[in-house]
Amino acid sequence: MRRTAVAPAAVALMALTGCSSLQTSATEVGGVRMTDERPVRDGGTLTVALNADPDKLDPTLAQTLVGRTVFSSMCEKLYDIDQHGTVVPQLAAALPTTSADGRTVTVPVRKGLTFSDGTALDARAVVTSLLRHRDLPGSARGTELAPLRAVAATGPYTVKLTLQQPYVPLTGVLADRSGMVMSPTALKKYGKDFTNHPSCVGPFRFAERVGGDRIVLVKDPHYYDADRVHLDRVVFKPIPDGNVRLANLRSGDIQIGDQMSPVDVRSALTEPKLQLFNSPSLGYQGIGLNVGNVKGLGEKPGRIDTPIARDVRVREAFELSLDRALINKVVYQGMYEPACGPLSPQSAIAPGEPASRCPQRDIDKAKRLLREAGVSVPVAMELKVSTTPEQSRLGQVVQAMAKEAGFAVTLRPTEYATLLDETDAGRYDAFTSGWSGRLDPDGNIASFLRTQGAMNAYGLSDPDIDRLVERGRTEADPAERTRIYAELTRRVRAEHTLIYLYRQKNYVVASTSVAGVRVYGDGLVRVRTAGYTR
Amino acid sequence: MTTYLLRRLRQSLLTLFLVSIVVFAGIRALPGDPALALAGEERSPEALAAIRASYGLDDNVLIQYGRFIGHALTGDLGTSSRTGLPVADAITEALPVTLELAALSLLLAVVVGIGAGVVAAVRRGRPEEWLANAIALLGLSVPTFWLGIVLVLTFAIAVPVFAASGYVPFGTDPFDNLRRMVLPAVVLGSGLAAVVMRQTRAAMLDSLSADYIRTARAKGLSRRAVIGRHALRNSLVTVVTVLGLQLGHLISGAVVTEQIFVLPGFGKLTIDAVFTRDYATLQGVVLCTSAAYILINLLVDVLYSVIDPRIRLGGAR
Repeated sequence: MRRTAVAPAAVALMALTGCSSLQTSATEVGGVRMTDERPVRDGGTLTVALNADPDKLDPTLAQTLVGRTVFSSMCEKLYDIDQHGTVVPQLAAALPTTSADGRTVTVPVRKGLTFSDGTALDARAVVTSLLRHRDLPGSARGTELAPLRAVAATGPYTVKLTLQQPYVPLTGVLADRSGMVMSPTALKKYGKDFTNHPSCVGPFRFAERVGGDRIVLVKDPHYYDADRVHLDRVVFKPIPDGNVRLANLRSGDIQIGDQMSPVDVRSALTEPKLQLFNSPSLGYQGIGLNVGNVKGLGEKPGRIDTPIARDVRVREAFELSLDRALINKVVYQGMYEPACGPLSPQSAIAPGEPASRCPQRDIDKAKRLLREAGVSVPVAMELKVSTTPEQSRLGQVVQAMAKEAGFAVTLRPTEYATLLDETDAGRYDAFTSGWSGRLDPDGNIASFLRTQGAMNAYGLSDPDIDRLVERGRTEADPAERTRIYAELTRRVRAEHTLIYLYRQKNYVVASTSVAGVRVYGDGLVRVRTAGYTR
Repeated sequence: MTTYLLRRLRQSLLTLFLVSIVVFAGIRALPGDPALALAGEERSPEALAAIRASYGLDDNVLIQYGRFIGHALTGDLGTSSRTGLPVADAITEALPVTLELAALSLLLAVVVGIGAGVVAAVRRGRPEEWLANAIALLGLSVPTFWLGIVLVLTFAIAVPVFAASGYVPFGTDPFDNLRRMVLPAVVLGSGLAAVVMRQTRAAMLDSLSADYIRTARAKGLSRRAVIGRHALRNSLVTVVTVLGLQLGHLISGAVVTEQIFVLPGFGKLTIDAVFTRDYATLQGVVLCTSAAYILINLLVDVLYSVIDPRIRLGGAR
């Protein structure tokens, strides 16, 4: 509902402020600005700063969000999303058709397309890629493509996917890395070393990578829409420190800074040479409480004897002690969005509830619940936070708020890899848990909330939730799906195990000399049509 | 001298071997599973198992160590688990950057530090000494990160004389290379310059009050000859020792400096490897840094004898 209200306003605003500086757009920091339509000239090199060095440039093995940004310029997918978060065909000629029983999906492939190494794209190339995504040892796509029983080319440009059971999230999955098609010639030639010689269909092709320093892509003459590609080269540079990214934007050494934090965006507001893009994220951030993870991920949940794990009233009291709006204001300069469920209100497939309907802080009720639960106050708990300045601020605010209701929260800043290790193993009371978000609601829910789910570090186990997750995956009717996920959200909220707090926004700062950059809800920076202004 | 060198080389190799064991064990003692760090946001048990298998993380630690050292002896430092690129390539690309940065910082520290130290000692009790001391104190106390950001804001943004980031090899474009390297060298070298200044000043004050200086003056030697040939030369032994010890700090200081100026050197490589538990890269980098450290110590020992022939090396016995 909110999306329909915001999108036309954003479009109108973009039209009005075609060459708006950051200052202009900053006045509506809460709004949305996904692109800048000023005309651009041909030629030039664009340098994009990422907040981390991408991992392998192999769509089957890749795991990072920054890697997805690099792929968006060199590896097109069967499907993509548009600015409204709707799935649209990219390498596919049309949306897939599904058989009545939901077990056969047919994908038509576009004709006349060529990979960067000159190989022609056809149905067989798509089959090769899909099977590799599903079967290659170490594939990061294996889980999401597991329901795929068989893939076959039924014509030169038609692919038939046979499923073990109806699997509605499939289209969303094919709009991400599982839908990327790799050149079969390059796969055959390089095998596992494809990561150092990636070849796909895309506006730019891979030229060079210096680990930790840069990934260079150059304009691909084989690309079907090469006439609309303006830049000669795109360079991706990992610059983890937000201050340093900002300093480089100011000095003009880089033209685009990805994943800027609210603090950095605020301090960039004064710079007339910079402009701001932002889009709402499909993910969520919150606090996960350990209610049954005693043996680690994927193991049967057990019993944990702490007040917060034992009694749902204590967890509810903890949630009621937190003020989402204030957290957003104090920690994130009011630039993120309070949230209380796994689905973003912006999600095109099954929108979640708007922030206005989140429960309000209620200290009296929290204290009453603690009394009813018969626990001795203060209830001690340890909250693990990662070591970023933002996360420690978040921890401190949570600590102060929870104290008023009768919780003694100790903070344990933990470096990210260690944090994952300990929370997956179940060695924690509470931790700040987040997810960058997926197009299909199932991607935000199934692995986290299902009993023994691959990322259910909370030890949550509820037969009703499991049943709803299953129904959500197999229900084709969008209206019914929305109802299922609304019910699921209510169930999850009643458990108070994963306490959703806010949704990040994707903030991208760019030089005003650059236009045509696109920032959509999936958080990727698209530079296909970008260029320097005339 | 040759015997001495051989003995020192043998000791160095033994040290390097011990370092390799410590590094190997130390990295594995870190909490945080590399497979988890690699899998990142999306981690299914199957994917984790496959990652562990493909990097041999399931094997016994002794087998892993044997494999590592066996390959290392042939110059193969393995493949980065994160990027899939060969570690040896990453090190070959990063090494010139850090070496140039360290060399420029050292040059700066030597020229500025020794110069200021001599002035402070010679002009004792005057404003020049006070000024040199104050600057040295500042150089020692200012945090690297802060100094780096301030210099970027001043000399790359407000007055864009230098570049804020990036690296261009000297061979490709010497001018552009220096434009990018001066600020990092200043940041990295400032602390060392301060240390060198203080050491030089103290050693010079010692020398200047020594008997042989009085003798030299009495012989009627020029002021320049007394300070330069006699006092400074004798003071340099202490300074060289300090420089040798500080070189290690230079390399560790490069970690922060390279982050600020986005230089693709050893420091940046190390940090990235630590955060992603990239065992192969981390082992390779630490091993190479240790080798460099050992080599520097060796060079410092040899330099002693060049500066001051009175220092007898063990080989003579």
